Amino acid sequence: MSNEIYDAVIIGSGASGGAVAYTLTKAGYRVAVLEKGRLVPREAFSKDEIAYCRRDIVTPNLFEEYHVIEEKVNGRWEATPTYDSGWSFWNGNIVGGSSNFMSGMLHRMHPDDFRLKSKYGAIEGANVVDWPISYEDLEPYYTLAEDLVGISGHHLPHPFEPPRSTPDFPQPPTRENAVVTLLERSCKKLGITPLVTPRAVLSQDKEGRDACYYSNFCGSYGCSSGAKGSSREALLRPALATGKLTLLTNTHVKRLVTASKNRIGHALCVDTITGKEHTMHGRLFVVAAQAHESARLLLNSADTHYPNGLANSSGELGKNLIFSGGGSGQGELHKEGLKHLSFEALMQPGYFVNRTILDWYFIDDWLEGKFKGGSVEWMFEHQNIISRALKHNYEGGRLVWGEALAERIHKRFTQQKSIRFEIFNDWLPTDDCFVSIDPTHKDKYGMPVGKLRINGHPQDIKVGNYIAKKCEKILEEMGAKHIYSSVSAAPAQNLVAGGCRFGDDPKRSVLNRYCQAHDIPNLFVADASFMPTGGSVAYTWTIYANALRVADHIVGMLNKGNIRPLA
Amino acid sequence: MRRRNFMILGSIIGISPYLSAQSITLEQKRFAKIKKTIATVQAHMLPDHTALPSARSMHTIDFLEETIFHSTYDRDIRRFVIDGAEELERREGGKFTTYDTTRKEKALRAYETDSYGSNWLSRIMTLSMEAMLGDPIYGSNIGESGWKAVESFGGLPRPRTRYMGR
Repeated sequence: MSNEIYDAVIIGSGASGGAVAYTLTKAGYRVAVLEKGRLVPREAFSKDEIAYCRRDIVTPNLFEEYHVIEEKVNGRWEATPTYDSGWSFWNGNIVGGSSNFMSGMLHRMHPDDFRLKSKYGAIEGANVVDWPISYEDLEPYYTLAEDLVGISGHHLPHPFEPPRSTPDFPQPPTRENAVVTLLERSCKKLGITPLVTPRAVLSQDKEGRDACYYSNFCGSYGCSSGAKGSSREALLRPALATGKLTLLTNTHVKRLVTASKNRIGHALCVDTITGKEHTMHGRLFVVAAQAHESARLLLNSADTHYPNGLANSSGELGKNLIFSGGGSGQGELHKEGLKHLSFEALMQPGYFVNRTILDWYFIDDWLEGKFKGGSVEWMFEHQNIISRALKHNYEGGRLVWGEALAERIHKRFTQQKSIRFEIFNDWLPTDDCFVSIDPTHKDKYGMPVGKLRINGHPQDIKVGNYIAKKCEKILEEMGAKHIYSSVSAAPAQNLVAGGCRFGDDPKRSVLNRYCQAHDIPNLFVADASFMPTGGSVAYTWTIYANALRVADHIVGMLNKGNIRPLA
Repeated sequence: MRRRNFMILGSIIGISPYLSAQSITLEQKRFAKIKKTIATVQAHMLPDHTALPSARSMHTIDFLEETIFHSTYDRDIRRFVIDGAEELERREGGKFTTYDTTRKEKALRAYETDSYGSNWLSRIMTLSMEAMLGDPIYGSNIGESGWKAVESFGGLPRPRTRYMGR
């Protein structure tokens, strides 16, 4: 293993690692993918709520591997290790990464997301910049990802829907719960236009993957039919079939080691089962470990050539970490008083709500002014049984138990169903949101852990609240009860990007427009780290598309012999 | 936000003299002494003859014991479960399990007024719900009684091993 020199060594097997591996192996290059987690067979993806949702089974034990999170409390920065808070920033450390566990509600970014600063101007306290590429550069890869991953949906024209080079999605939408009729009727009454949600879930069989069987438990769970468009199903399986891919599981990369000032020579790895160290050599290295961990790896790889971290001559490494801003809300549809819909149809398990609202993606409000808004996804409350039973079991500050608890839970499960919205809006990049390495805390491998300073911009909250109020009106119109929403500066830790911005100026960015390190030609960062701004949709489709674009560039370099073989 | 504050608080006020590292064996011995106390609390929370299966009929205490001593479970919370039960017995002079329903209710509501006690009761409730509504493979939710009671069922495929074989 240690003597072989691969054309590319990829660190991480999630959405971006899978996309690069797919493209390179299909082009005939020999690739090694290093994944710190294990390979979970498709058939082992059960709907075990205890294992998948209530224990650290697919993420590291927080006492062994953790982050330090720095938040502002009463005006002062307070750092808390995640083993202490329980707030894990791991997002699925198995083959395929967190793409195994996504809900799959995906969107392309809007063309104006690529030129946010030009469109809306600077925002005080935010480091907004335009991207070095345009939507037109990425569009072919959005289309390619749509086909490879298998995104189902139905295109409806809308002013804020990005243009497409194909008329519609490769697969029709997944099946929908009848609540859609009530949602659409309510939206129409309010002058709002809901759209069909593009979903990385197959509605029809595709190349060894079975169509969705509507298990009722999708997000947070792996898919046992292969319908979900995870990296492992859509990209790594066909990559393995080429015979060009070596997939090393339980392999954690501690650091990248330079062979010279301009070249990475090998990755120093540790077998997570035996603890034994080994090296992996490649002509080039692609970091795809998820944004905060990719920056940490490069910072931990500092050496005499790069004392402040690999590819960090700009000083920008780790800076401008972003999450997805927004929030969520929900309301209860009760059996009693339900309008335009039978209760039996509402309670039909498994089918999706499948509706998105883009009406507030760009806001021009007579009172609030013009500003960038966000998107809204509609869904049922997660159907996990234990977590639903544990909700709202307090009354007057006291736990409810005994007969009162039994009646309350029984009624909640049999007399109502909660419908929910999730808002996605830009998390503006600021000087107070970045990843560094902690000076004292180390993981079980002896490497400094990532320290994440997290602070949202007030504009993020403003946008979230604006949209939440609109969504609450929809719930009211639907006849929902106990409506509430929550918009806060606390990030969704599974929607993380930035930290290795791409750009044309080596003094202001870590990566060039092809996500190649300005400083080191045989080093690429393919995950969401490159994003200077995040758009107002989940990142996954953009991650897939950009990684396919980067991989095309790498293939071009390899074809031209622009990556030197090691002596 | 530090979830362990309640445990540290317990140690400061002398509730938890054993907060420092302990062996599993010692913790198992301590648990054996208060197992009945926790089972009694669970039976009070989920009694017989309600719309939900009872803690007693679902053997929720066995689920709790296996769960907190499993390698995937947070070691600090395991200690907290044991410490909190010991504290309840200390407050009640070691007689909690002998109380009638009224007196148990009074004791638990009094314990709940303390944030430490409130957190502990919440943890016991969580573990009880996990038992009753988790997959039957974990030994509770016998005959899917918990799922039948709420007319909601776990999805397919069902797990073939506990904790994905870990």
